[in-house]
Amino acid sequence: MLKCCELEYKVGSFHLKDFSLELQKGDYCALFGPSGSGKTVLLELIAGLRPLKKGSIFIDGMDCTHMPPQRRPAGILFQDYALFPHMNVFDNIAWPLVIRGLKKLEIKQTVTQMAEDLDIVRHLSRMPELLSGGEKQRVALARTLVIHPKVLLLDEPLSALDAPLRDQSIQLLKNVSQTGITILHVTHDQAEVDALANRSFAFEPDHGIIVP
Amino acid sequence: MVFLIFALKCKAMRFSQNYSALRLVFLFLSGLMLLFIVAPLLGLFFSTSLPNLFETAKDTQVKGSIALTLGVSALFTVLAAFFALPLAYLMARKEFRGKAFLQGLIDLPIVLPHSAAGIAVLGFIARDSALGKLAEALGLNLVGSPFAIGVAMAFVSVPFLINAARDGFQAVPLRLEQAAQSLGASPFRVFRQISLPLAKPSVITGLVLMFARGMSEFGAVVIVAYHPMTTPVLIFDRFNSYGLEYAKPVAVLFIIICILVFMVLRLVGRKNNKV
Repeated sequence: MLKCCELEYKVGSFHLKDFSLELQKGDYCALFGPSGSGKTVLLELIAGLRPLKKGSIFIDGMDCTHMPPQRRPAGILFQDYALFPHMNVFDNIAWPLVIRGLKKLEIKQTVTQMAEDLDIVRHLSRMPELLSGGEKQRVALARTLVIHPKVLLLDEPLSALDAPLRDQSIQLLKNVSQTGITILHVTHDQAEVDALANRSFAFEPDHGIIVP
Repeated sequence: MVFLIFALKCKAMRFSQNYSALRLVFLFLSGLMLLFIVAPLLGLFFSTSLPNLFETAKDTQVKGSIALTLGVSALFTVLAAFFALPLAYLMARKEFRGKAFLQGLIDLPIVLPHSAAGIAVLGFIARDSALGKLAEALGLNLVGSPFAIGVAMAFVSVPFLINAARDGFQAVPLRLEQAAQSLGASPFRVFRQISLPLAKPSVITGLVLMFARGMSEFGAVVIVAYHPMTTPVLIFDRFNSYGLEYAKPVAVLFIIICILVFMVLRLVGRKNNKV
């Protein structure tokens, strides 16, 4: 489902070289690495937000190496959730559907269904600034999931949450994973994904290797 | 009596807490600064009689010049925005060689003497220039036209729009644009629906500043078009031809209109900024 072949990228002191990874459909893969090791950069490379120096990326059999981010079948959940502050929760979730030209009724049904699944219906008319960390995470996840990405890239999604919310979010991600979506979750905390990942690796960009 | 002394002491303590020596000095200096701004305007207002003002308001030449000034400045502000906003966005988002030089170039009209700016614009639209020749082929003379006035106004005022908008775009987190792209939006849609709305307060401030600077321009405008007269040129013309007393009511009327226009623009801007 996701295949990264010998990726190479250099920015500042960060140097990723000969990075390869292959995930099957439904895999939940965790990548561990210390803060500042460039895990987020790797996700941005897969999402197409940074241009690769070398290597190739295939998603669902499609060569996405030179594809712009808006055309890649991947969704990314940023660490700070990146909710649009000038839109309410409904509009945030609906926005990817609006730009795909869906009809209003269809958008309303999809957003409501997604909000029900993620238990955020009561927040639909609220602005992002009024939401807690856990609520923001659910909204950002809903916004990413409505586009039905083949691969879901998670950038330390639990790091900003306190213990009770973290447990809820782990359950939520478990539910998402059970839908068959391929997930790549980067984190600096191994315990975070013990209950989630079926594959896990240590991320060592400078040596170009991944240690299972 | 004891209670009174106690109360006075408390009041004195509170006064000394609220008004330290530094704060008092700052308040005094700030007051002088504000007086410096307000005093000439108040002097102008009080030395103009109401009947005189009403008579000036009925003057067709004055009415025409005010309409021309506001109209041309507004039109060229909107036109310039189509070019200035993309430039501001690039300046905010892209790093490239020569960026500092380009920023200096953008700021150049602010530091140029406005008469020199007028000469430069005149060279750009004169009959022997490429633009002038093209206009002449179409039977138009750019010099002395509202177009010339607009170009002069835009030339000296567009840096205010570019710089304000650039600051606004810079303040939009890059992450939001990346999130939008990863959700399927084209770069243009990201600009239109994410970056621009989030930078709107700064963009509106820039538009208002450009409009204001454009309509108050005299130096550059008087060189490219003495006629038709914008209000600043008309004020100068009346002062030059008839003296201070004839220039004053026009100036007061123009200031009142400027204040009203800005109040409306600020109110509209504030309403739009509430996201």
